[in-house]
Formats: sequence, C-alpha cells, structure tokens
Amino acid sequence: MIKKRDILSFSMLYYKELRRFNKVVIQTVLTPLITSSLYLLIFGISLGKNIHLLGDIPYLAFIIPGLVMMGVLNNAYQNSSTSIISGKFSGDLQDLKITPLGDHQIIWALALGGLTRGLIVGGITFFVGQIFYYQIYDKFLLIVHPLYLVIFVIIGGLSFAVMGLCVAFWARTFDQLSAISSFILTPLIYLGGVFFTLENLHPTWQALSKFNPLLYLINGVRLGILGQSDVSLNSALVVSFGFFLFVYFIALRSLQKASFSRW
Amino acid sequence: MAPPLKVQNLVKNYNKVQAVKNVSFELQPGEIFGLLGPNGAGKTSIISCIVTLETPNEGLIEVFGHDVTQQAKAAKYKMGFVPQELIHHGFFSAEEILEIHSGYYCIVNNRERIHYLLNELGLWEHKDKKVRQLSGGMKRRLLVAKALVHEPRLLLLDEPTAGVDIELRESLWKFVCELKKEGVSVLLTTHYLEEAEELCQRVGVLSHGRLIKLGETHDLITELTHRRVSFSLKNSLKKIHHELKTEELNNRHIFNIPYTKSIEELFNELSLGLGDVTDLKIQEGSLEDAFRYLLVEDMEENK
Repeated sequence: MIKKRDILSFSMLYYKELRRFNKVVIQTVLTPLITSSLYLLIFGISLGKNIHLLGDIPYLAFIIPGLVMMGVLNNAYQNSSTSIISGKFSGDLQDLKITPLGDHQIIWALALGGLTRGLIVGGITFFVGQIFYYQIYDKFLLIVHPLYLVIFVIIGGLSFAVMGLCVAFWARTFDQLSAISSFILTPLIYLGGVFFTLENLHPTWQALSKFNPLLYLINGVRLGILGQSDVSLNSALVVSFGFFLFVYFIALRSLQKASFSRW
Repeated sequence: MAPPLKVQNLVKNYNKVQAVKNVSFELQPGEIFGLLGPNGAGKTSIISCIVTLETPNEGLIEVFGHDVTQQAKAAKYKMGFVPQELIHHGFFSAEEILEIHSGYYCIVNNRERIHYLLNELGLWEHKDKKVRQLSGGMKRRLLVAKALVHEPRLLLLDEPTAGVDIELRESLWKFVCELKKEGVSVLLTTHYLEEAEELCQRVGVLSHGRLIKLGETHDLITELTHRRVSFSLKNSLKKIHHELKTEELNNRHIFNIPYTKSIEELFNELSLGLGDVTDLKIQEGSLEDAFRYLLVEDMEENK
C-alpha cells in the first residue's frame, strides 16, 4: 500500500530533479532545441524535398514525430543517468540510500524527472517542427490521435529515464557509460525509424528492426501524430509496455544490488 | 525499551577480505560511544552497515528495536549520519540542501529546525551560498546539519573532525554535548583520542575488524595504563629503590604506578612523607596510552 510518507519523500526527490535540470537549462533544454532545429532544417527541409515516401505524407511531416520522440527518449535517458552519475561524483547519491526513500520512490522520481525534461524537449521540437511546417505548407500539422501520442510519449520517456538509471548505477567508469550510449542506444534510436520507414530497408534489416523496441515507441508516436505507422497499434502497445516493465524490473534489481558510494 | 543501537555478531566481507569480524556492542540511551581503531580497522564498515549503505554478511543490527535490513525505513527515521568524506552538492545552496533533505524524511515545513541548525552550526551567513563555494569546515558543518534535520535520536558521526581546525572541533563537540543532554545517543569514530577520552562514556577498540576491548573509558584507562609520578627530594643525597621506579634524572625520581596503588601507598613503601619531596607531579594515564597498549598486545597475540 502506498503511504502518504512515501509520496512525500518521492515528491521531494522529483522536485529536486526538476530543480537540478532547471539550474542548467542551457545544457538540458536549449542544446537539444538547437539540435532538433538543425535536424528539421537539414533533413526535413533541405534534403527532404528530394525524398518521396509512399502515400502523400511530406518527409518533413514524417520526421517530426521521429524527432519529437528522439528528443524525449534522449533527454529522459540523459536526465536520470547524469543525475545518478553526478551523485556518484559528489557523494550525495548515498543520501538516497540512508534516508527513508524506498526503491520504488527513487525509480519513479527519476523516471518522472526524466520524462518531464523529455516532454519539454519533445514539446519544443514539435513546436519548432510546426513553425517549419507552416512556413512550407502554410498550415499546421494536425495531431490525428492525441491519446496515442500521449501514451507512447509517456511510456517511452519513462522507460528511457528508468534505463538511464539502470545504466548509471551499473557503470563503474565514464567509459562504460558512454559506451552504452554510443554503441547501443544511439544506433537503436537511429535504426528505430526516426528518419526512414521500414519499407526503405533491406528485408534482412527490416526483420532485425522488428526486435528493436524503439521502433515500436517511435512508430507509436508517429501513429499518434500522423495516423500512420510501420507497426500496428496493438504490437506497439504490447512492446512498449513490455519494455517499460522489463527496464523497471532491471532498475529494481540494480537498486537492490548497486553501490551508492562515491566514485 | 529497545537500545538506541544494538550490533550483534556483525560480519562484513569485501570479496575475500573480512573487514568486520563478529563484532557486538550496544549503545545506551543518551550516551556518547566511541568506536576507535587505526585506519582499516573496520570502523567505517560497521557504520556503513548500520546506515544501510552496506549489507552485513552475518549478524544483526537494530536501531531502537528496528532491524536495519528488515525494517530499514523505520530505522532510518530514527538515525542521522555524518559521513567521513565531504559531499559537494554542486547545484544547490546550503539551505536548499537542508530543505531537500528534510523532504526525504517527509518533513515539509521544516524552516524553523533548519534555521536553528544553520545558526547553531555557524552557517547562517552562508545559507544562500552554493555548497561548492563553502570551505571544507563549512561543508563538514553542513553534513552535521543534514544529519539532524529530522531530529534523530541516534547520531552516527564517522570521523567528523578529520581535517577540521581546533575552533570548529570545539564548537562541534559542544554541540554534540548539547544533543546528548537532549537525550540523543551518539556513536562516533575519531582519530583524536583526547577528544574521545573527554566525550565518550564508553569506547570500543577495533583492530583488524575485531572488537578487542569494550568498556567505560575511565575503566579502560585505569585498567590498562599507569600513573606517572615524579618528584625531587629535598635531600638530594638520599637513594631510593623501588620496583616501579623507571628513571632518575638530576634528582628527579620517576615512577609508573598502576591505578590499584595509591600515591599514599607508594610514599609509605618509600618511607617518605610529603615534606621530603618538592615539585611533585602526577600525570594520569590517557586513553591514547590504553589504545596503544591494546594495539601492541593485539599485534603480539596475532604474530
């Protein structure tokens, strides 16, 4: 049973997470804003003119959901992993262990902290995308299924924030942390259909992509905004929720086993 | 009533190294208990197990009757912990850190307590500074304030005066004594044995992970050390022989006598009266002497 005390201590950790990324707003919000604007400008507008997808969806409209979700996932992951890693450096990570915060409170506070930052960046990306879209097509991109959009953005943001927590607790050096990011996450995000549809891929890669959970998360958002997707709604929902439960379980195990000591 | 802290048959291993070997002790309500030992003796490992930073391999730890492994939350509300190493908290000010820390203990409006602690620990003027801007001594005081935001009944201090100047040490101990008066029980580890002697009613001495001695500080001193008595004789030609005499320098006779023997007895055995001597000096044994004795004894036993 959830007690009032648990909610209070969880709220304080969540509040601390918000304050933390708010204090370095250039790094946490403005940098991703510039990055996504550049992506929209280069891929969506300049190169996008020469890319023709099946159906009548312009390429700019196609990549907006992908970039929104990429912003959400990257930032959710970054937020929780840097929070834990900086705690390992400064030594204040042990506060989470010695105070009455429980494992579930820690996971949910960091997950929501990451999701919040992800939503801000995703929202800004969507806003910038709309400006570009309006300039070219003289109209705004309408959201076809807002509920699906909300569901996939939330479940994706939470999953990636929890994953950031797992990796940061697991990592014993900066090398290990950046290795996970460079060799696993970035390829999975880029191969998860941010910039292309499955139809553009060789059949072997198409088959392999089906094992990438990010494909379902990104296409879930695309389904929400455009009403079109490479995967069915049901499979996107099952994989996304399954992925969240999986990373949540790993996070619980990490917190039980991990060291909260200073690096 | 359950004791503030009960450690029973505690064992802690790091890989193949046994850092804590079957250690047992209890704290009594409102006492300051010193856990002493050289570096690597297992002091921090024991404290880490108490505050749940480490999991014991064997044994039981209870804080006011709450098992720290089974009822960790209940135990955590009752204790405060000041770690040995400084914490930097890059993003936040001193006051913000205390507010956040209060929140972890589910205390929402804790301003009064926070201001009290900031004042008591001399941090009031620095409350708006980022923690990284504080000096080492201020950071140390902030750690003490953090440990006390939730008014714990058990305070664990892991070498709180390491690298701290004399003035701050004195003010810190004064504050700890005030807490003791309020009924807070304190477990402290320190390398400054003079401080431990002055503050602690009881001490436990650790060596290589084992608790080699546990008892009242005063009893340990009287049991394990000698009084050093020295005097000069008015009649400098008089010869004195006694089994406890250790030295004679320029008509100054020096004796090491056990606490079981009174100075009166010594004088009687020497057939001397107070009128026969000048410049009588009595130097009491110290906890440091007792500590050294124990460590040497332990080393010889384990040769």
